[in-house]
Amino acid sequence: MQALEKKQDLAAQKPARRIGKAQREERILGYLFVLPVVIVILVLVYYPLAKGFSMSLHSLNFAMGPSDHFVGFKNYLHVIQDPDTIATAIHTLGYLAVAIFVELVGGLVFALTLNSHFRGRGIVLALTILPWALPGIVSGVLWSRIFHPDNGVLNNVLYRLGIIQDYQLWFSKPLYSIFFIGLVFVWSSLPLTILTLLAGLQTIPSELYDASAVDGAGPVYQFRFITLPLLRPALAVALTIGTVNALGIFDQIYVLNGTALGTRSITLQIYLMTFAQLRFGEGTALAFWLTLVTLAFSVGYIRSLRSARG
Amino acid sequence: MKQSPAFKYLRYIAILVLLIWSVGPIFVGLSTSLSTQAEINKVPAPLWPPHPNFKGYQALLVPNSVGNANISSEVSAFGKSMRNTLVATAMTVITVLFVCILAGYAFNRLQFPGRRFLFFFIIVTLPIPAFALLAPLFRIMSDLKLMDTYQGLVLIYLSAIGPLAVWLFYNYTADLPQEPEEAAMVDGCNRFQAFIYIVVPQMVPGIAALTAIVMLSVWGQFLLPLLFAPTLATKPVTVLITEFVGKYNANVPLISAAGMIALIPPAIVALFLNRYIRGMLSGWDR
Repeated sequence: MQALEKKQDLAAQKPARRIGKAQREERILGYLFVLPVVIVILVLVYYPLAKGFSMSLHSLNFAMGPSDHFVGFKNYLHVIQDPDTIATAIHTLGYLAVAIFVELVGGLVFALTLNSHFRGRGIVLALTILPWALPGIVSGVLWSRIFHPDNGVLNNVLYRLGIIQDYQLWFSKPLYSIFFIGLVFVWSSLPLTILTLLAGLQTIPSELYDASAVDGAGPVYQFRFITLPLLRPALAVALTIGTVNALGIFDQIYVLNGTALGTRSITLQIYLMTFAQLRFGEGTALAFWLTLVTLAFSVGYIRSLRSARG
Repeated sequence: MKQSPAFKYLRYIAILVLLIWSVGPIFVGLSTSLSTQAEINKVPAPLWPPHPNFKGYQALLVPNSVGNANISSEVSAFGKSMRNTLVATAMTVITVLFVCILAGYAFNRLQFPGRRFLFFFIIVTLPIPAFALLAPLFRIMSDLKLMDTYQGLVLIYLSAIGPLAVWLFYNYTADLPQEPEEAAMVDGCNRFQAFIYIVVPQMVPGIAALTAIVMLSVWGQFLLPLLFAPTLATKPVTVLITEFVGKYNANVPLISAAGMIALIPPAIVALFLNRYIRGMLSGWDR
């Protein structure tokens, strides 16, 4: 956002050197160029947003026959007292915890690794972003081959290595399932974290490392007192994107375990409530809860990292 | 940074782990797609099939290659769904590029009243999850008779990807040198001509990057087409694969082959355009 403000200021300082015809031409061109996207966002984001908010304030439950009367915030209260919804919220926090932990640790380790020159770095970088490019559904299909209890590769390899004596049912315990599905999700999202942190690392001047090395600083000291503080802005971006994405986890769960309650996320709950149970009012109310939480997390991260920087 | 030998080895280990993590699951999928169900069910199963066969791919890509007519017709839906994905992706890429390059450029370079407000109006929708809009969008699409049409899908994708694309191209335009455009206008070009003949050619790397990013994000869409592309008229391959997962859980090679075919186009784009994608997402190599 800082970059945005800076750029806007630059643009604002541009003197109005053309007047009359050229200026009018520029204005017309400006409106023509932004009109299509403005209309689409208005009709397909703002209008449904308003309509959705109105739906969430009404009793719309088509499973019980079409009824449509204003109930205020009743749906919002009702929906967070639902035991299934509470369970799905806890699962979602589980996915979020797995995603953030692995993305931060893995993202840092791999970004530091890639932030050096070695032969084949270009190829390694290209292969690193590959998982991010693949459809989430396909990642689910690929990883289902790894975690399958009868014929999965994880059992196969661990058995061959003698680490396990019997094939394990990885998805028999909800906690395991959430961890593994979270890992599959991370497979898709980690590349973006690595790229973000790598870009952050590349803005750190190498003179800082040279100077501190002259003063006798070791790698651990350098990481703690140079890399980590200067990486804060990139970490804030990575955390925010990671959180927003993880709260929206859907595809991997759907393909690996369907809509089963044991692994159901809040997004799947919204989908089921709205489109399977036709509880439109409650479904949209839950969706607005998710939106609020998503926004709160993003603002919170950026705030806390900004203040910690001072 | 000076590095001790211990650090060097740690780095090689990290690179190896990263490569196995990134490519391993794709290798597993390939190996499965070339196996028979019997080979997969062995304990322990071979990590690579001793006699690779292409039956899964054949069933999906060659019409009437499966003996059972029932399964054959279902499986032949795969070809149609791949075409659907291809058409929707191509249409969306062209639309998003056209609309968002114009907007990104205009928000950055052109002066017009309300510019800041309209830019904010679009960018502020970035963090809104699609879930908040699904139920009302479902009604709007039905009312507009855009359900199960490519046009409807393209509009929804444009509204979902548009803010990010505008944001990326706004920043990209800001990084381009402004002098060529100004020089062209001094030489008598009007603003539009300067944009078409001078600025657009300057933007080629950014256009390549945005093409790749939009292509990848549309190709992998699942929830939106699950709702808005319900029949084979527009149903994409991602949705069809989840149906296969339910139906053919005793024919894992077939499902894996479907996954492998569906990942080829995005994998090619990611590998060949990765420099541009990285540039757009996290800063261009200088």
